[in-house]
Amino acid sequence: MNADGVLDRLAAYLPVMLQGAGITLLVSALAIGLGLLGGAVLLGLAQFRQGRSPLAWAVALLVSFMRGTPLLVQLLMAFYLPSAVGVDLPPLLVAIAVMGLNSAAFQCEILRAGLAGIPAGQLEAAYSFGLGQRQVFWHVQLPQLARAVWPAVVSESMDVVKNSAIVSVIAVADLARVTRQIFAANFRPLEVFLSAGVVYLLLTGTVFALGTWLGQRMRQPRTPRPPRSSGLSTPADSLGVRHV
Amino acid sequence: MFELALIPDLLPLFAGATLRTLALLATALLGGLLMGFGMNLLRQSLPALQPVYWAYVGLMRGLPFLILLFITYFGLPSAGLELSPFAAAAAALSLYSGAYFAEIFRACWQAIPAGQIEAARVLGMGSMQVFWHVQAPQALRASLPLLANQAVLLLKDCALASVITYPELTMTASKVVSEQFIYLEPYLLLAACYWLLAIALDLLGRWLTQRFRLKGATR
Repeated sequence: MNADGVLDRLAAYLPVMLQGAGITLLVSALAIGLGLLGGAVLLGLAQFRQGRSPLAWAVALLVSFMRGTPLLVQLLMAFYLPSAVGVDLPPLLVAIAVMGLNSAAFQCEILRAGLAGIPAGQLEAAYSFGLGQRQVFWHVQLPQLARAVWPAVVSESMDVVKNSAIVSVIAVADLARVTRQIFAANFRPLEVFLSAGVVYLLLTGTVFALGTWLGQRMRQPRTPRPPRSSGLSTPADSLGVRHV
Repeated sequence: MFELALIPDLLPLFAGATLRTLALLATALLGGLLMGFGMNLLRQSLPALQPVYWAYVGLMRGLPFLILLFITYFGLPSAGLELSPFAAAAAALSLYSGAYFAEIFRACWQAIPAGQIEAARVLGMGSMQVFWHVQAPQALRASLPLLANQAVLLLKDCALASVITYPELTMTASKVVSEQFIYLEPYLLLAACYWLLAIALDLLGRWLTQRFRLKGATR
């Protein structure tokens, strides 16, 4: 096979793959949004009455289930169990709902850890200054929480994009599924799956770049920032044995 | 709708499938840990190879595992390397989880105060001695809870081996569904198996962390 042939074929895959990438993007974006929102709601429910209500217990069970079983199994259950009793749900809807709920369970844990990281003394100080519960949340907890959990939220969002490849199993025509269809038609696995991999890398890379950029803006909203270091070397990198 | 009487019939099937999932998990865990540890060893002993480390980690963290699995199972044969479903899944899982394990090791490695290493060097230890007697024990100990968490994620990724026809838990359940036309029982049993395995792994991680905790250590 010559190089021109490969390029021609890649050009032929491109429109189909872009269409698939559009579905991947749609599912991922909605799942990320639902996940963040759902995570906050789950955490709110879990903390209802200091976490001693049956509701909090149910949330803990749900979060444990969503985190303890594979996404593939959750998708299969949500897709085939309703159809067994005669309710046929559109695959795209199932995919978005399951991925959103799955991500919500992870985001809930991220937010919980972030909230626990804010020293209790700050809250006591805020209350003793006469701030109300709502004020404490908006002016003390939320700004710190957002900054603290942001890297983890971005990382989870990248995972959502990657995990969205699994929805191809329940017949959603996302990038992974159209890629398999192209492969089934021409049996050129390496070039087909490698080009799909490049598209996925672009998608996750975009989420990462966007997240990092937003995170930097969030850190210092008003004062101008000094020039950034490249970020490639950390102080601890210089700790390598051979340099000592 | 849910028939408890079906469960005893399904149990032997699922027990065998659980064992196959565990065999895959154990192989991938070993491969991933070796990969992650080896990459760190490489990163530290040959600074010139740092870009290789970052390329590897960046690639694995940006690529869906499913695509990597397709590349190893469908793609490698056309490059002259035919792998069984088990071998392809184990290789892909090792490669994929290795990047996450590598990042865990790196983080714990870098958390060791530089003063300790300087002190060890001043006392006359060679760099290999510093590595084995100062850095490795501390980094491994600190990384245990993170490793356990990553092992649970690995267990869940094992489910995708069903897509390339390795007869582990998920494929077994899907087969029961399509052959016997029962839905609720196999799927509930399937979820229960994974959930229990995940909880067991989590508990094992906690126990190991406790077991290797240094007396008087803060973490």
